[in-house]
Amino acid sequence: MTVAAFVFYVFAVTVLLGGLMTVVSRNPVHSVLWLILTFIASAGLFVLLGAEFVAMLLMIVYVGAVAVLFLFVVMMLDIDFAQLRAEMSKYLPLALLIGVIILMELAMAFGVWDFSDGFATRIAAPTGEAQNTAALGLLIYDQYIMLFQLAGLILLVAMIGAIVLTLRHRKDVKRQNPVAQMHRDPAKAMELKDVKPGQGL
Amino acid sequence: MIGIEHYLAVAATLFVIGIFGLFLNRKNVIILLMSIELMLLAVNINLVSFSHYLGDLVGQVFTLFVLTVAAAEAAIGLAILVCFFRVRGTIDVEDVNVMKG
Amino acid sequence: MISADIQTVLPEIVLALFAMAALLGVVYGGKDRLAGRLTSLTGLVLALIALWIAYTGEGTRTAFGGSFNDDGFARFAKVTVLLSAAAVLLMSRDYMQRRGLLRFEYPVLVALSVVGMMVMVSAGDLMVLYMGLELQSLALYVIAALRRDSAKSTEAGLKYFVLGALSSGLLLYGASLTYGFAGTTLFSGIIEAASDDISLGLLFGLVFLISGVAFKVSAAPFHMWTPDVYEGSPTPVTAFFATAPKVAAMALFARIIHDAFGGIVGEWQQIIAFLSVLSMFLGAVAAIGQTNIKRLMAYSSIAHMGFALMGLAAGSVLGVQAMLIYMAIYVTMNIGTFAFILSMEKDGRPVVEISALNMYSKREPLRALAMLVLLFSLAGVPPMVGFFGKFYVLRAAYDAGLAWLAVAGVIASVIGAYYYLRIVFVMYFGKESEALDGAMPVFQWLMLMGSAAAMVVGVVNLFGIEPLAAAAAATLVN
Repeated sequence: MTVAAFVFYVFAVTVLLGGLMTVVSRNPVHSVLWLILTFIASAGLFVLLGAEFVAMLLMIVYVGAVAVLFLFVVMMLDIDFAQLRAEMSKYLPLALLIGVIILMELAMAFGVWDFSDGFATRIAAPTGEAQNTAALGLLIYDQYIMLFQLAGLILLVAMIGAIVLTLRHRKDVKRQNPVAQMHRDPAKAMELKDVKPGQGL
Repeated sequence: MIGIEHYLAVAATLFVIGIFGLFLNRKNVIILLMSIELMLLAVNINLVSFSHYLGDLVGQVFTLFVLTVAAAEAAIGLAILVCFFRVRGTIDVEDVNVMKG
Repeated sequence: MISADIQTVLPEIVLALFAMAALLGVVYGGKDRLAGRLTSLTGLVLALIALWIAYTGEGTRTAFGGSFNDDGFARFAKVTVLLSAAAVLLMSRDYMQRRGLLRFEYPVLVALSVVGMMVMVSAGDLMVLYMGLELQSLALYVIAALRRDSAKSTEAGLKYFVLGALSSGLLLYGASLTYGFAGTTLFSGIIEAASDDISLGLLFGLVFLISGVAFKVSAAPFHMWTPDVYEGSPTPVTAFFATAPKVAAMALFARIIHDAFGGIVGEWQQIIAFLSVLSMFLGAVAAIGQTNIKRLMAYSSIAHMGFALMGLAAGSVLGVQAMLIYMAIYVTMNIGTFAFILSMEKDGRPVVEISALNMYSKREPLRALAMLVLLFSLAGVPPMVGFFGKFYVLRAAYDAGLAWLAVAGVIASVIGAYYYLRIVFVMYFGKESEALDGAMPVFQWLMLMGSAAAMVVGVVNLFGIEPLAAAAAATLVN
């Protein structure tokens, strides 16, 4: 076995193990940690395939942001997970059956992957000598500029969505208004009354 | 030499694990979201390996966009989940008394 | 080069810029106080863009290396999508404002999701298809959960999100297999690669793609989210879900199977025929026991999607033409029906129980009559326009040699007629009971009467959409 093959098997087994543990582990915090392991191992696979930029992106965006977002939400919501897990075993046989069937079908399909005849003539962006990141940059800012802009719109929708769904202005909290504070005029805010004893106002 | 079928097999298994997770964790939305992330990761492994063996960069461009969208999707999913939790005090989707399936 | 590309996508750019400008303007200019005006303005802008596309677009142009098509088919779908979204926005303003649901993000999100739909129906590339679809879906997930203090609404959003994300995953897996087989994501390249003998891998890709899109059009057996989402979302949002996204997803469906897989009709014809039969029967049977009119409309839409899919299953120009006509009629009927549902209220609270319509004809004879016309049309009773929609798809299926499918369609529409006619029965011959009150705001009234009138007047020549749809279908199928 060559070194490359050995490394492939290490990463592949880690990806699958991590994926499996993500869905079966009892504690969601562990799930997130397994998910992070899966992401790291698949970044390794991407490096083996010569896709360095995507690999780094996976590390930075996924491990750095998305997985942490998950972790944050898991910790923020105070959920009784033990109770949620109690019924898990009920679905296990069904889920296993479905999984095995789909896997068998897919394995049949991929026994030998055949590319279509003459696919080489349809390649839009052949991998050249150029460095991976530079080549990708040229593609997304030039040929795929519309997709790049659409990705921007999608992120905008995600931002609006997150704000519209979760931002709350709490009414029961007193907020500081610095402008009003600075413009406070003691002469108007206070009035001195000379109260005679025994009479009141 | 590692052939494309090896990568496709890894991706297919990961995709099936994702679907398996959806069925297994029908009650726990957070793990449902993670299962969906696993499915998208499987798609990305597919795309990158096709990109490598076809000698075409478009697969990697596709992966970039899938990653972007998946991040946006996770953000919205978690936002809806937080909302749901605030109203219901649970994240159990099976516990639907409000609407009958 | 780039300027020609931008010319082609100009309507999408204008709408996206409008949405962003509106967002900025309203955030700094008064937030929710301006929400009502922004909703009307957005509706107006959508309608104007529809007119612009309808009157200036001609010929077939592609942009960005063939990944974006501006052809007759795309324009027909875009005009339908834009007009229905505009109608829903205009009639939702009053309803949402009175219930304090109207937030300024609502019209902005609707506009952005319409941008996604316009991109979807023009897609000439798997990546463009995916990005358009996601732009649309993400906005819709948020809109479904818009009433964030309501358990029903957030639950609807959550269910819609989980199943929608699952369907995107399936679609994407299919897209990746297709790319791996063809070596390109362009539809023009895929159709070249997938011409005669195809590998098992591509077949799996096709199946995954079709099941992903079937989720989006809520065809059985991928329909389970529909009733809950329809019931849980605020009614104007339900009206939106039932119209524009359905047209866009159906057009996308037609585009994938004809533009990318047009060379292997035999491979997908049976799958789509199966989806069609299942949707028609499930929609017809499951709707019978419903007491909530929004759930009933959900099952009704599943059944209607079954009929529209019958047109696609034909796999011919006639089939696509029938599908386009069917969707245009479906959208018109649904806007009228939802205008009516929006006006159902009692003591200022919305009512969705069918039993509340008892003897409605006595109190509001005109509105009841309009609803009667719409329900007859939804059921496909002969003199109404809805009948012609069904007639076209049945004829297309029959001509394509799918006689069994056409027969199944007739049976399903007879079963389906029962629950529409039950509502008519309740309105005209029901028991005397507590009455609905509530006046109908002018826009809703106009939509209800307009769409009911269209169902009757349209019998003459279907407002000339038949040749338009034929021309549109001819640009897609060749």
